[in-house]
Amino acid sequence: MQTPDITYLLPLFFVGVGAILLMILSTFKNINIKKGAIASLVFLTLAIVSNIYNLNTLGDIYSVYPFSDVFNNMIVVDTYASYFSTILILGGILTILIGLHYFQRRKEFTVEFFSLLLFSVFGMMLLVHANELITAFIALEIASISLYIMIGFEKVIDKRIEASYKYLVLGSLAGVFFLLGSSFIYGATGTTSIGEIGIFVSNNIDSNMSLIILGGTMILITFLFKIAAFPFQNWAIDVYDGASLPVTAFMAATFKAAVFGFILRLVLVDFDLIRDFWDDMFVYIIIFTLAYGSFLAIIQKSLKRMLVSSSIVHTGYLLIAFVSIGVIGENAASSIIFYLVAYFLSALGAFGLIAYISSEDQLRITYDDFRGFSHIRPYMAAMLSVFMLSLAGIPSTIGFIGKFYIFTGAIESGNEILAIVGITATFVSVYYYFKLIAVMYFYRSPEMTDVPPLKGIAPLVIAVIALMIIWGGIGNTLIAYFPGVDFLIDMAKLSYKSLFIL
Amino acid sequence: MITLTHYLVLSGILFSIGLVGVMKRKNLLMLFFSTEILLNAVNVGFAAVSKYYGDLSGQMFAFFIIAVAASEVAVGLGLLVLWYKKTGSTDLDSIQMMKG
Repeated sequence: MQTPDITYLLPLFFVGVGAILLMILSTFKNINIKKGAIASLVFLTLAIVSNIYNLNTLGDIYSVYPFSDVFNNMIVVDTYASYFSTILILGGILTILIGLHYFQRRKEFTVEFFSLLLFSVFGMMLLVHANELITAFIALEIASISLYIMIGFEKVIDKRIEASYKYLVLGSLAGVFFLLGSSFIYGATGTTSIGEIGIFVSNNIDSNMSLIILGGTMILITFLFKIAAFPFQNWAIDVYDGASLPVTAFMAATFKAAVFGFILRLVLVDFDLIRDFWDDMFVYIIIFTLAYGSFLAIIQKSLKRMLVSSSIVHTGYLLIAFVSIGVIGENAASSIIFYLVAYFLSALGAFGLIAYISSEDQLRITYDDFRGFSHIRPYMAAMLSVFMLSLAGIPSTIGFIGKFYIFTGAIESGNEILAIVGITATFVSVYYYFKLIAVMYFYRSPEMTDVPPLKGIAPLVIAVIALMIIWGGIGNTLIAYFPGVDFLIDMAKLSYKSLFIL
Repeated sequence: MITLTHYLVLSGILFSIGLVGVMKRKNLLMLFFSTEILLNAVNVGFAAVSKYYGDLSGQMFAFFIIAVAASEVAVGLGLLVLWYKKTGSTDLDSIQMMKG
């Protein structure tokens, strides 16, 4: 049976139309934050349902070019893109649910904020669906520009504007490098379609590839900037620290997944044969990213800045698997996808819970502010501990499984040094993650009463995330016949395969 | 006779001017001008390569890039007005409160 083309694009359609409708709705006075949040949740839920419907009905592996005569094969819908879209839409939904309490407390947030959030999710989804460099650039800019505004949304706070400004200037500079790289590749191959570049590379592998390599390097610079890897990491702490906490959670968890989603497609399909050229460069980038990120995380006093610095370290772990792709393609690619899910859950939970705690006026910022937190709010402290354990990669959490796949992959592919550096960084990370747990449980501090009690939807969602993290770590062995994390990694392998069917 | 190389050299020169501008200029408005120059340098390259191959898609991309550049500057100028109202300054150094 022939499925109509629009079915493939329904997830994108719902998010895009939802964003535009919310922008119109925000002009009405009687639409308050709560109604706006519910409307955006409805659109995102429709999108995720249609996306999962696609994943279920189109078979294990599929790859189609919807409306190929109109879009000229610029958008591809395959298992890979649908898998990533599910993560991204879920990121949007969880951000709204977790942040709702925070948004309601702050006067500055209006319904437009949700419209921008939907536009941002739309851009990220388009990015993982993009089969063409300029489409990818436009998608990246849709996502980024919405993020610039979301960061600076609370315009009464100077820090927000500064963060927004820094991200805008540096982000557009990084975007220009992406364009320069694509113009080099266009000049060398005469096409910007990802599949056709791959064919060109494999047909002309014996001739001079320098222009394509130069263009690829430019594109990788943008990639390294957007995920905050070593030479381009300085913006990350300021921008993430300046943004309001739900936005930080959204950026750290979702945007990184989207950028990885596109760059994995580009590297696996196009640069498969010339990837060796960058391997040495990446080894140094990884070592410096891990070392510098760990150093930054140790010296931070503010909890938010510590989490942001540690997100640089997690970028380093992801890049370890990125290098291993050359030898063990399928396993490494699926371990990246799995680790993205694991980090996504842990980071969203940690940032979300801190956002919830600090949504009242008095902000809880440094480690010391969390002194004796477990005596006042034992459940919140327990959840925060689960997130810290998962971020540190302690067994029985999903973070451990993610790190396990990455490090075994690195050893299998012969990058023992990277595995050793990564494991050392994990040891170091135990220091700054466990410091919080120790502060919460082993100290007493009487004068803390301004924490919002557990009520509303946000703590419930955070608790579900915490349970998912634990289930992801032990679910498989504990309960027989119960779907565990295996299905995540199996899906990741299928989506890897779907990149290569024509 | 003006060939593809000339256009690409022009594109390269424009790109370098833009890059130096982004690095050296302290005025926020000038920073946006420099970004525009960078984007238009790429546009020149795209249009030239497109003509060389006889493939129209490159010129189409140039239009898309112009649109993206415009929307980026729209956000940037909005922020600039906001910042100027707050502090009365468009200097880059006035915006450095947080230190990496």
